[in-house]
Parts: sequence; C-alpha cells; structure tokens
Amino acid sequence: MDESEDVPKDFIELKSEKLSVDEVSELVISPCCGAVSLFIGTTRNNFEEKKVIHLEYEAYVSMAETEIKKICRDVRQKWPSVKHIAVHHRLGVVPVTEASVIIAISSPHRAESLEAVMYCINTLKASVPIWKKEIYEGEYSWKENKECFWTNSEK
Amino acid sequence: MIGVCSPKLAGLRCETLSVPRQITSLQLWEEIVKIHPRLAVIRDQVVFAVQQEYVLLGDQLLVLQPGDEVAIIPPISGG
Repeated sequence: MDESEDVPKDFIELKSEKLSVDEVSELVISPCCGAVSLFIGTTRNNFEEKKVIHLEYEAYVSMAETEIKKICRDVRQKWPSVKHIAVHHRLGVVPVTEASVIIAISSPHRAESLEAVMYCINTLKASVPIWKKEIYEGEYSWKENKECFWTNSEK
Repeated sequence: MIGVCSPKLAGLRCETLSVPRQITSLQLWEEIVKIHPRLAVIRDQVVFAVQQEYVLLGDQLLVLQPGDEVAIIPPISGG
C-alpha cells in the first residue's frame, strides 16, 4: 500500500441494506494502526415487557450526514492520532438482533480508538437527526433518546 | 417563501410558507402553528434546523433567504 495515500478518512453511510461488520471494519484498517475499535448497536426484542417485532428508522438524511461529519471532526480534534472513522447507520426496517448502527475507528494504539468510539455513539445519540420507531404487537412508539441535547433529561 | 419540513412522526412532511425575512425562531413557530394548530402540543419537545443548523425556539433572530429550508426536529432516537 502506498503510505502517502493513507490519509485519514471518514466513511459515513446511511442506507436501508443490512449492515456488515466486516465491511465497516475493513474500511478503517490501516498499516500504521495497531487498533480498530468497534461499536455495534443491535435491535433488542423487548421494551418495558412489550415484545418488539422490529424497528423502523427515519432520518433527515442530508443533515444527519452533516452532523456525523461534525462528530468525526470533533473526534479528530480530541484524539489527533485517530486514523480512519466509519459510521454506518441503517434506515427503514431493522429486524430484531440485526445491527442498526456500526462505528469503527482505527488508531495506532488502543486507548484513542476505544475512547473515540464511545464518544462517537454517545454524541450521535445526542445530536444526529435520526428517529426510531419500535413496532410491538398491535401498536408502535416513536422513541426519544435521553441523550437528546434539547429535551429535559428528567422525563 | 421558505420550505418547512418535518419527519413523518410530526405529521407535516413538507410545504412552503411565506414569512418575514427577519423573524425570531419563536415567531416562526407561531406562524407554523397558525396553519397547523395540532403542532402546538409538541412545542416544548422540538427544535428547528434552519439550513441544517439547530436553532432552539426562542428569541434568536433568523435572517431567512427565499428557498431556505426549516425543519421541525422532534426528539431524536438514532443509534
């Protein structure tokens, strides 16, 4: 691999197809990095004793991509040694146990990528305009993240 | 004329609206609620995104250009 082409990159994708952990982690692998840290958000089958049939995600797509790019920029400011960042979020129907979001970050040593992945998912939940609907048997509910930066967290 | 959009859960989708070029974010909300009174119940839960930048409902003065897009953003639940 020509190392002069290994410039830090952000890979951001919102799509309705099934997400692939292999694909996302391969995006961030780099010869200068000894660590790739990963977060996978999967669909739980229950909420407050109700059985969840599946989730549906909707997004304000152009703004969601912009907000994720801002998160990547913040990650690089806080952890300058971070190399590549990949954030894939699924839209539309997500069946139980399948991934709704995968975040992968590479860095030379593990501390930075581990911390950066946590920051990335926490900030995504606070600020990226994506909405999740849980479908139960016979009813549904639009969810609200407690991290959402403009709502009262004491709800 | 600006475009006002919201996701499915807020029930609005997209439509155009004629507003003064300079208007506070709260005044803009009130203009929208005049046309869609049922949105009044979600006032405390939403923010705007004006040209994809978040704006809280309040005294912030917006300087809007024709064709600007304002989105009503209910509480988010990504990730």
